[in-house]
Amino acid sequence: MTDIAVERDVLLPASVEEVWSHLTDGELVSRWMGGSVVLEATVGGKIRMTASGAPDVWGTVEEVVIGSRLQWSWRTDDGLPALVELELHPEGEGTRLTVRETLLPWQSASASPLWIGRPSAWFRTSMVA
Amino acid sequence: MVGIEFLFTALSDPTRRQLVRVLAQRGPSTATELSGSMPISRQAVAKHLTALSHAGLVTRSRVGRDVRYTFEPGSLSDVVGWVQEVDDAWASRLDRLRSEME
Repeated sequence: MTDIAVERDVLLPASVEEVWSHLTDGELVSRWMGGSVVLEATVGGKIRMTASGAPDVWGTVEEVVIGSRLQWSWRTDDGLPALVELELHPEGEGTRLTVRETLLPWQSASASPLWIGRPSAWFRTSMVA
Repeated sequence: MVGIEFLFTALSDPTRRQLVRVLAQRGPSTATELSGSMPISRQAVAKHLTALSHAGLVTRSRVGRDVRYTFEPGSLSDVVGWVQEVDDAWASRLDRLRSEME
């Protein structure tokens, strides 16, 4: 797989269960995703985000492991398809949420990740290092 | 952003990524010079350079009898644009989520 991806994580002062509901309950998700989200948190379920001033993003839920892992693929009508992977891990009294959004390839290719991290790091490590 | 598709294909091969790296370090080079810096034949280098030039990652120019290849960093702007847009979006989302939970 060639990966062009963005990865971020955050430590949240809440239980895994509480964070999970904020990822899967449409009303709660809509409070932080930056648009109104409809999400069916089941494999093959639909996801759609509508925000004023931005094109709709829509897609399909690819993986659900309750309290641990949620994946969906999505795109805008004329945009690029991407895979979003959310992972939860208990940490201390809180929960670490990791998000990875990967541009989906147009062809399957076997190769090591092209880039993981921030753009500047990518240029440094992969392009000119 | 159509160009990303070609970049994807071109950069899916580890040898081609290595070639881009070498070319970025060396500056404009011929296929023969590049094959001296890599464990592959001049013919293989030339084949990969053709793929990279179709993706806009390298340009070719004739200097006397030599063909020199130059890395074009601007060709990556679509990828960088996507990365920045998506990274910014998740940064804002995770900030809002943390505020939501505090």
